[in-house]
Formats: sequence, C-alpha cells, structure tokens
Amino acid sequence: MDFPFIATAHAEAVQEVAHTAPKMDPLHHFQVVNYIDINPLGLDISISNSVLWMWIVVGVVIGLFHLALKNPTLVPGRLQSVAEAAYLFVETMINEIIGHEGKKFFPIIFTLFFFVLFCNWTGLIPGSFTVTSQLIVTGTLALGIFGFCIFLGAMHHGWHFLSFFVPHGLPPALLPLMVPIEIISFLARPVSLSVRLFANMTAGHTVLGVLFFFTATLEWFGAWLPFGFTVVFTGMEIFIGFIQAYIFTILTCVYINDSLHMH
Amino acid sequence: MIASAHASAGGAAASSGLPQFEPSVFESQIFWTLVSFFLLMYLLKKYVLPPIITILDSRASRIADDLQKAEASRKEGERLLMNYQGQLVAARQVAAQTLDEARMEANRYREQALEELNKELAKKKNAALLEIEQAKQKAMEEVRDAAVELSMLAAEKLIAKSINAKDASRMVQEAVTQLGKQSQLH
Repeated sequence: MDFPFIATAHAEAVQEVAHTAPKMDPLHHFQVVNYIDINPLGLDISISNSVLWMWIVVGVVIGLFHLALKNPTLVPGRLQSVAEAAYLFVETMINEIIGHEGKKFFPIIFTLFFFVLFCNWTGLIPGSFTVTSQLIVTGTLALGIFGFCIFLGAMHHGWHFLSFFVPHGLPPALLPLMVPIEIISFLARPVSLSVRLFANMTAGHTVLGVLFFFTATLEWFGAWLPFGFTVVFTGMEIFIGFIQAYIFTILTCVYINDSLHMH
Repeated sequence: MIASAHASAGGAAASSGLPQFEPSVFESQIFWTLVSFFLLMYLLKKYVLPPIITILDSRASRIADDLQKAEASRKEGERLLMNYQGQLVAARQVAAQTLDEARMEANRYREQALEELNKELAKKKNAALLEIEQAKQKAMEEVRDAAVELSMLAAEKLIAKSINAKDASRMVQEAVTQLGKQSQLH
C-alpha cells in the first residue's frame, strides 16, 4: 500500500523548496504524535492527537444530539428534526438491507455511522486531526465488523455457514476454482472496507494540504487560484466525508445481512 | 494486510512514507478506537436513542389519534348533515302544507264573499223587481180608474137617461177585463 504519486510529488516538492524557508509537507497532517505515554502492563495506551480527536468526536456527537434532544417536543425544532432525520436515515438503511431482524443491530450501525462521519468531518477543521485517515483505525473498525459478522454467521448457521463459500447452482467441476475465489473475496472485505475509507480521507486531505501550501507560499496574484480550489475542495470533502461514512455503514449492513441470510 | 502495510512502510524511508504506516502508534490507536467506539455506543444507547424513540413513537400515536378523531368528526359531521337535511325536508313539507292551507282558506273566503255578493245582488234585484211590479200595478190601477171614470163619463153623456146603474156597472166590468187582457199581452 503506497502512493507513488504522493511520494514523488512530495520528494520533488522537498527538492524544489529545500532552499527556501517553507517546507511543503502535506503528509504532516497524518503524523500521530504521542502527548502522554501510558504503558501499564506492557500495553501501550498512550494519548496521541489521534486519540484526542476520537474523544472529541465522541464528545461532539453526544453534545450535538444532547443539544438537539434537550427538550424534545412533539412539533420538532430544527435541530430535533435533524436528529430525528438521522435516526430515520439509519433506520431506513437497516430496514432496506437487513430487514426486520436488523433492529437489534441499530445501536452498532448508528454509532458506526456517526463515529465515522464525525471523524471525517472534524478532520476538515484546520489544525485538527483526521482519525479516519489512520489505516489502523479504519482497519480496527473493519476487522471488528468482520469478526462480528463471522460470529453472527456461526451463531445463526453453525458449520452450515461455510456453505457461504459455495455458490448456488454451480457445476461441481468449477467448485475448486470458485470456492477459493469466494474465500478470497470474503477475506478481502475488511481490507477493502478499511482501505477505501483511509485512502479517501488521506487523498482528500493531502490535496487540501498541497493547495493550502501553495496558497500560503505563492504571491498574491497566484495564490487566489489554489485558494479558490481549497474552498471548492473543502465543500467536496464534506460531501466525501458523508459518502464514505454512508458507504462504510451500508457495507456493514450488507455484511451483517449476509451473515444472517447467507446468499 | 496490516502486516504487509507495515512491511512496506518499514522499508521506505521514514521521511517519505505515509505516517499512517508507522507501527509504533498502532497499539494505542487500536485500543482507543475500540474504547471510543464502545463508549460512543454506550452513550448513544443510554442518552440519545431513548428520547428519539420516545418522541417518534409519541408522534406516531398522536398522528394515529388525530386521524381517528378526524374520522370521528367526519362521521359526526355527516350525521349532522343528514339530520339537517331531514329537518329541511320536514320544514319544506310544513311550508308547503301551510301554503296549501292558506290557499284553501283564501279560496273559501273568496267563494264566501262571492256568494254573499250574489245574494245581495239577488236581493237587490228582487227588491227592484218588486218595486217595478208595484209601480206597474199602481200605474195600471190608475189607468183603470181613469178608464172607468172616462167610460162612466162617456156613458153618462151618451146614454144618460136609458141605462140604469146595473147595466152600466156590467158594461164597465167588461171593458175593464178587456183592458186588463190587453195590458197583460203587452
């Protein structure tokens, strides 16, 4: 997993501006810095900027919902309407993909959506940190979902869950070919789930970083162009942040549904 | 996956690789991702989802209630309309009846008046006829008296000496009868 264009651009930029004062480093944003080192019993639970922003996300999500639902009324105010719409949005998604059985997964799906969404969005605040740009974070979530789905499948179907890898109506001769393919595609799920989100966030913020760098270093007659792009691209990133959270959540629903209903 | 990412990141120079592949920060992030996620889930489950569910449910039941009430009101309205229409029909019937009665009353009144008028007229006509008859009678009497006188006078002059009173009276009677017949013919 590497990004040749980013690496090259980065290297060139470093060479070009090496002699001038500002140094272009669009990847600086993704640097995890430990603030407080904590190592009880050999387990590293240090507080870094990434961890701090996870907490901020938790606080923001809870705070916004608390604000929206402080005095819930039958005729909703604006914020309350948004909170209700968010609830119904997730509920509709679960109903459409998993169906009635999906109701018990509502808290997980709801939390997942808002955790990812606000990790994506808070990362757009200048000077902040994008938690979801860390592959280890998205990977943890994706592997957790993956493990949860396998657990669900095993609970519901027992050993029969292994028939998930045997497509229906296939000539037996093709089975030796198809079963490994099915297994690989199944194992690829957490990879694609985590890499998609991580790569989207990384790429978007790298582009923003480069544009901001040019805005800051170019003369005024040149700076307006990258600056204009940052404005457009920030709007774009807000949209992408939502879309990626939506995709992450909806794929989770699909995987859960597969575990419950097989194919 | 993470292992391979780790390997590629480890192979590249620290300055040019993506900072995300620096494995030294993985452990704490895995730990805190899980903690943050479950903390958020706990808080949402405890403080956010119940009020939303409550308010959505109460709104749903309120809407159902309102619909029910609206249905009841509609039925009530229909009932009232039926009542009103029934009353209207009854009132129309009463009005028509009253009108008929009034018309009959008026007719009766008119006929009565006409009858009275006719009676009056008949009475007046009879009175007039009687008066005419009386006048005629009187005139006839006068004419007869005059004729008797005249005849007596003439007879006196003509046969003053030869005819006695008995004959004269008979002759006058005949003349008068003659006269009466003649006047009746007219």
